[in-house]
Amino acid sequence: MLRRFRLEAIAGVAVLGFIALFLATTVMVPSAEFAGSDTVGSARISEITGIPEDEFQPLVPQWAPPSGEVESALFALQAAVGGIVLGYVFGTWQAQRRMEKRIQPVSTPDTDV
Amino acid sequence: MHIMEGFLPATWAIVWWLVALPCLLLGLYRLRRLLSVDREALALLGVTGAFVFILSSLKLPSVTGSCSHPTGTGLSAICVGPWVTSVIAAVVLLFQALFLAHGGLSTMGANLVSMGIAGPFVGYLVYRALRETPVSIFLTVFLASALADLVTYVVTSLELALAYPAEVGGFFGSFTLFLGVFALTQVPLAIVEGVVLALVFKYIVQLKPEILVRLGVFSEERIVATQRGLADAA
Repeated sequence: MLRRFRLEAIAGVAVLGFIALFLATTVMVPSAEFAGSDTVGSARISEITGIPEDEFQPLVPQWAPPSGEVESALFALQAAVGGIVLGYVFGTWQAQRRMEKRIQPVSTPDTDV
Repeated sequence: MHIMEGFLPATWAIVWWLVALPCLLLGLYRLRRLLSVDREALALLGVTGAFVFILSSLKLPSVTGSCSHPTGTGLSAICVGPWVTSVIAAVVLLFQALFLAHGGLSTMGANLVSMGIAGPFVGYLVYRALRETPVSIFLTVFLASALADLVTYVVTSLELALAYPAEVGGFFGSFTLFLGVFALTQVPLAIVEGVVLALVFKYIVQLKPEILVRLGVFSEERIVATQRGLADAA
C-alpha cells in the first residue's frame, strides 16, 4: 500500500517540510515581512544605484490593480484558469480509461473454441 | 522572478527582447507543427500549460523571509519541448504584466528569457541527459523541474547584475547580491515544485501513457516498465 503511494508520501513530506521551514523562519527571523522577491530585488536595485525606488518610471505605461484585494482576485483567477483546464483534461483522461476498460472484449465459451 | 516595469534600462530591455523574440517565434512554429501532427498533444499541452498558470500564481514564503513563486515550466519542457514552453510562459507573463503589474511589457523580454527560455532549456537538457539512463523516470522529472525553476531565478539575477554592476565588486558583487534575493529564496520552492511535478507525471503515465510514447517523451519500454512497477506496487 505504502509502495503504491510512495510518490504521494514523498510529496506530502516535502510540503510538510516546506511549511515547517516557513514556521521556523517566522520564529527565527521575527522581522521577516515575506514581501515578494520582486519587491526585494527592486529595493536592491535602488540600493546599488542610489536612486529611490519611486523614481524608476515605467518605460511602457502600465495598469496596476487598484488594491491588494483586486490583485489577489486576479492571481486567483489565473490559478483558476489553470485549475479548470487541469480538471477538464484529467477528468476526460480518467473517463476514457474507464470506458476502455469497460469495452475490452470478453471471451465467451462459444468464441473460445 | 519578475523584473518590474521600469527597473531595467531601455538598452537592456531591448537586448533581452531581441534574444527572446526569435525563440518565441520558433516556439510558435513548433507549437503549430506539434498540433498539426497530433491533435491529442493539445490535451498534454493543456495540462503542462495549466501547471505553469497555477504554480506561477502562487506566492509562497521562503527561508529568506521573502516570498516567491514556482514556475512549473520543467514539466512542459519535458513533454512538449523548451521552444513551445516559451510560448506558454509568454502567455502567463503577458497576463501578469497587463493585469497584475507583475513584470511589465518592457521587461517581458528579460523575464521571458529567464522563465520561458533559460529555465526550460536547462530542465530539458537534464531530462535529455537522463532519459536513456537507468535513472527513474520520476527522479528525472523531479531533477529537470527543480533545476528549471532554480535556473530561472539564477538568470534573473544575472540579468540584473549585468544591468546594475555594484560600485564595489562590479558584476560579481551584484550577481551575488541578487542571487541571495532570488535564487536562495527559490531553493525550497524548487524542491517542492520538482516533487509535485514528478507526482503529476506519475498520473499522466497512469492515465495517458500512449501520448507520452507517441510524442517520444520516453520510450515505450520505459513507460511500460514504469507502469508495471506501479501496478506491482498496487
